[in-house]
Amino acid sequence: MEFIIRNKSVVAFISFTLFCIISLSLQSTTFTLSFEGIISAVTMPFQKAYNGVQGGISRIWAGFTELTEVRDELMKTRAKLQQYESMTDEMSEIRRENDRLRELLGMKERVEYDSIPSSIISKDPDNWFRTIIINKGASDGIRENMPVIAYQGGQKAVVGTVIEVRGSISRIAPIISPAVRIGVKLQESRFPGLLCGYSGNSNLCKMDYISRAAFIKFNDVVITSGQGGVFPAGLVVGTVLKSYSLESSAYQRAMVKPVVDYDLVEDVFVIKKDIDKDLFEIFDEEKNE
Amino acid sequence: MILTYVFTGVIILVSLLIQGHTSFDVLRIAGVKPDLIFIAVVYLSYCFGSFYGEVTAFIGGLLHDAVSNSPLGLLTFPKVAVAFIVGMFGRSLFKSNILTTSLLLFVASLAKGFITLFMCYVFHEASASSILSIILPESFYNALLAPPLFFIFDKIFEGELEKEGYL
Repeated sequence: MEFIIRNKSVVAFISFTLFCIISLSLQSTTFTLSFEGIISAVTMPFQKAYNGVQGGISRIWAGFTELTEVRDELMKTRAKLQQYESMTDEMSEIRRENDRLRELLGMKERVEYDSIPSSIISKDPDNWFRTIIINKGASDGIRENMPVIAYQGGQKAVVGTVIEVRGSISRIAPIISPAVRIGVKLQESRFPGLLCGYSGNSNLCKMDYISRAAFIKFNDVVITSGQGGVFPAGLVVGTVLKSYSLESSAYQRAMVKPVVDYDLVEDVFVIKKDIDKDLFEIFDEEKNE
Repeated sequence: MILTYVFTGVIILVSLLIQGHTSFDVLRIAGVKPDLIFIAVVYLSYCFGSFYGEVTAFIGGLLHDAVSNSPLGLLTFPKVAVAFIVGMFGRSLFKSNILTTSLLLFVASLAKGFITLFMCYVFHEASASSILSIILPESFYNALLAPPLFFIFDKIFEGELEKEGYL
């Protein structure tokens, strides 16, 4: 006992090291997950509370300072609204024509999904990981693998996918994370590819497995292909910065700049779309073989 | 000593909040944020010894791991290891002034970064590009913030350090 007290820092170091190594070795087991869950449950209320207080103060302050700006914005918005109202008739005519043409071509109707608006309350505090935490969770109908989008610069674009859901919060892995992989295609040439984060600390993505036959231009728009069963087809992901052919590969790679800036995004929408279970069952079967 | 525990707890929680909350994203330079919990851990190991630093590193690291998407233990172990080393050798090697404080934090951050990279390599995913994109910028950033933060911590713990005979 005396030896332990005399060498308490060495004993503590060995104990903590053992704990960390055992925990990391068992990281996929329920023990680690539930333990992490307990600590997470303790810390999250503080973050939510801070977010609430900060939001309240910001709103009160904004009420005093932004009145003139709001009045100007209102005038501009009214003018825009009138413009959009005149566009409505034109739009409905185009929609009718689009439906008719789709019917003629025998194309499947595009499914519209509901979405859950949510605010980002926290980002990963460490530089080694890139995740986002939102203020909606299982109680709001969010489930794992649901796609997440945001509006930035008037454009709807992909943010990432839900990887962890708790009662009132969820964790999102953004598309700049190397762990997230999405089936995408080039909007203009329709060549498909696989998109994932470029590196742990970069805000860029790489699009791999693009056919060498594809002619890729700067600023080509990349959209989701709908393959993979998580993201609906046609969502904007980003634009091409450059492309190059890999020496040892039969494919090209493109560097993609996401439309949504990880550092600036504040509000997101979780699309209420479940994963295509049939597709995932096929993957599981193949994995087990 | 109770006040020391209270101050330490408050510092860890505030650091975690600053590092995680979106309203402090302005702190991000060259894509990285400083590791405030780590700076506090180095200070506490330096001033109160290895054991206190290790315990703070362990608790702070677990909280850091829980809030982050990292596997439990990945961000904890490097902090504990550096706290142990700083507590053992810090005082004998570094006299407390602006230059040596920065140097201490720079060396400690490099050590933490390389231990994390090794742990990522063994238990998670690692990329050598992290040395340039994460480890080096974070080490410089931590070293830059060390003198003002050490000054603030000195003021916070002044009474306790005197009472416990560390000064």
